[in-house]
Amino acid sequence: MNRYLTFIAIIIIAASCKPKKIETQSELGDVDVTSIVAIGGNSFAGYSDDALHREGQEYSIPSIVLSRMEGSNQFNPFSQPYLSSSSDGINLNGNSKLILGYKTDCKGVTSLSPIRKATSGNLNDLNNWIYGTDGPFYNLSIPNLKSEDLNNVGLGNPANGTGNYNPWFSRIASNQVNSSILSDAAALNPTFLFLSVGQDEITEFAKTGATGTVLTNAVFYNNLQNIAATIPNAQGVISKIPNVLLTPYFNTIPYNGLTLDSDQATTINSVFNPIGITFQVGDNGFLIEDASEPFGVRKMVEGELVLLGIPLDSVKCFGMGSIVPIPDRYILSLDEITAIDQLISLYNNEISSYAAAYNYALVDPTQTYLSLQSGIVYNGVSMSTEFVSGGAFSLDGLNLNPIGNALLANQYIKAINNKYNARIPLAPVTNYPGVYFP
Amino acid sequence: MPSISKILIALCFAPALSWSQGYQVNLQGQAQQGMASAGTGLIQDAASVFYNPGGMSFLDKSEIIGGMSPTFSNGIFTEANTDEFARTTSPVGTPFAAYGVYKFSDTSKLSLGLGIYTPFGSTVEWEEGWVGRFAVTRLQLMSIFIQPTISYKLADAIGVGAGFIYSYGKVNLQKDLPLQFQNGDYGSVELAGTGSGFGFNVGIYFEPTKWFSAGLTYRSQVNMNLKKGTATFNIPNSLEDKFPSGSFTSSLPLPSVMTLGLAFKPTDQLAIALDINHVGWVAYDTLAFDYEQNTESLEDTKSPRNYENTFAFRLGAQYDFTDKIIARAGLSYGISPVSDGYVTPETPDANRVSYTVGMGYGISDRLKIDASLLYTQVSRTDRNLETNLEGTFKVMAFAPGLSISYIFK
Repeated sequence: MNRYLTFIAIIIIAASCKPKKIETQSELGDVDVTSIVAIGGNSFAGYSDDALHREGQEYSIPSIVLSRMEGSNQFNPFSQPYLSSSSDGINLNGNSKLILGYKTDCKGVTSLSPIRKATSGNLNDLNNWIYGTDGPFYNLSIPNLKSEDLNNVGLGNPANGTGNYNPWFSRIASNQVNSSILSDAAALNPTFLFLSVGQDEITEFAKTGATGTVLTNAVFYNNLQNIAATIPNAQGVISKIPNVLLTPYFNTIPYNGLTLDSDQATTINSVFNPIGITFQVGDNGFLIEDASEPFGVRKMVEGELVLLGIPLDSVKCFGMGSIVPIPDRYILSLDEITAIDQLISLYNNEISSYAAAYNYALVDPTQTYLSLQSGIVYNGVSMSTEFVSGGAFSLDGLNLNPIGNALLANQYIKAINNKYNARIPLAPVTNYPGVYFP
Repeated sequence: MPSISKILIALCFAPALSWSQGYQVNLQGQAQQGMASAGTGLIQDAASVFYNPGGMSFLDKSEIIGGMSPTFSNGIFTEANTDEFARTTSPVGTPFAAYGVYKFSDTSKLSLGLGIYTPFGSTVEWEEGWVGRFAVTRLQLMSIFIQPTISYKLADAIGVGAGFIYSYGKVNLQKDLPLQFQNGDYGSVELAGTGSGFGFNVGIYFEPTKWFSAGLTYRSQVNMNLKKGTATFNIPNSLEDKFPSGSFTSSLPLPSVMTLGLAFKPTDQLAIALDINHVGWVAYDTLAFDYEQNTESLEDTKSPRNYENTFAFRLGAQYDFTDKIIARAGLSYGISPVSDGYVTPETPDANRVSYTVGMGYGISDRLKIDASLLYTQVSRTDRNLETNLEGTFKVMAFAPGLSISYIFK
């Protein structure tokens, strides 16, 4: 009898035996978590799918990093200026966010495509001042941040008139008339800063086909220094500017997407041969505006980029890119590409100098973009810079989605771990949301 | 006396999974299992149909055995860098074996035998939403071998035998796909199929003296060919034409095993057995799925496995306390066929030490009960080159088993 009982006991003990988790220690090292404040643009605010929306905010880069910092519980949840969870998202044009849906083009072809979630966004999401009920906000990041805005008192003041204030800051400023981003930040006595400045102004320049103007790198550096002047003793991590030209926004429509049969080629050639432009049967570079050409138009050449913002129906049905040249604002020429690359490089040199001068950890998001460009496999999931199917960029093709943010957030965690002797565990990238399919 | 069924019912609530070297299950014959599954050079009972057909003709009497070894195991994966972890929720494995040997007369040199057993298979299931869910969420692999066997005693000291193997198997692989529905749920795919294959099991047994015997066997590779499996995709509507559910073919090699077995009987009571297995795992080079209908998104897959041939060493001893009670113990060391870079969550394999104990009890001259218990644990840290899943797998497994033998006298 006893023998059986012993046998049963052995089996039961063995059955309840489970292997233990590998013990790891999460440590914050020298990071002073007393007051963690984020100042940045789109990527820090969680702007994606061409709008500010709740899910994007929840998985903003600072939010993901902080969620991995055990022991900084006072920041979980991180105090961000959230839209209501029922919001469809909102952008400055009053549109809701993009989702994947079905769209019928001018030729009557229905296909899966980014469409607006609602006919319009709720403008109250943009216009309501929420500091009074939800502030203060430790994530002071706002879409369309420009470096000269940091120290701009009244940046949130609608009375300054359109173009002279940023409505995203109006929402969250402690005082729309008297506060700047930096004064609101300083009021929180930051001990640790998340900084990402310069990206939005470069992106804006690039996505308007390099038609606008940008600050010189020297002015940019002075603007950065305003941060250290206002908040002198904080630790921090600062991001370089990613090479925006690697995003799907600039790499989805091929330069030679003008495909002609022989009849079409003959017709177009009868128009353009007289001014020295020849089209062939098959793939051709699109016809674009170029003021430096004698007749103001030419064909695109390899290496030039068509922007995703181009009105596709005009291309498909109304001769844009063939009979009608594509306006300059939808195109980056080789010269413009070189200019943007140089600009990014100059700005990034300033950011590196600034990080060195004030002893911040430094992150280079271009590394994440480049690895996506060459394609990565993360826990069995393939990701790339392909529009939609690449899985890491949001439906606007410019901003990362939560999975992409998690990939990039891991670069921040590594940089912080390295700089501040911390051991913050990385974010499990594939646990974050990606593209939702209908 | 608490009934065995109660024990089993109690155990069924424990989460488990069955794992052994690769997807091989070395749970045949309780007498042999008690001795670390050494039994090629030591003829104990009708399980010789499996362990050494050459020794079958050395059994004195006709005999049948039926046994089962419920396998309980718990696994955990800790992801490198993120500290995320997940456990297995696998059901109890139920390898079983039944053997029969028929002797025309006590002095007959010829024996006929039949074995029905499950040498390969396991079910591995991971908890919902685990970090490796795009590699696998559940893999069920089941195979049954049916082996009619003939054995002939060439001389007093030597016997040979050969068996023909027909195998039937079932595979069911499930994993999540990184395609999200509107509500955030992930799509998934289930690949299910059945297959069959053929092989053989041959052996020679040599018993020159009372105190020493030896055996050499070769169980051939069996290729399980899945001719018409079914791939079922559960994905958002808009992607259905990209991932059409339909047929696929695949095949899974069940590797050859060559075994040299030695046995020593220094006294009438004590027997010591050593088996050395050489397993032809090199056959498991690639896991390929060939879909009948390919699309731009659904291409045929070829996942490298690159298994290597390996050895296992099994040392066991048994001691006859009385005419009726036999105690057994064993120790085995198996070298993993899985190279660094190829560890997968469906078979998180590593070099392993296994410990076994066993007991035989003769209820009567004709009826015998054997019980065995195996315990093993493995730990393996790796980054898979195909999926980049990186972390440490730890598995603890134990398999209590029970068999009943009837001897025709």
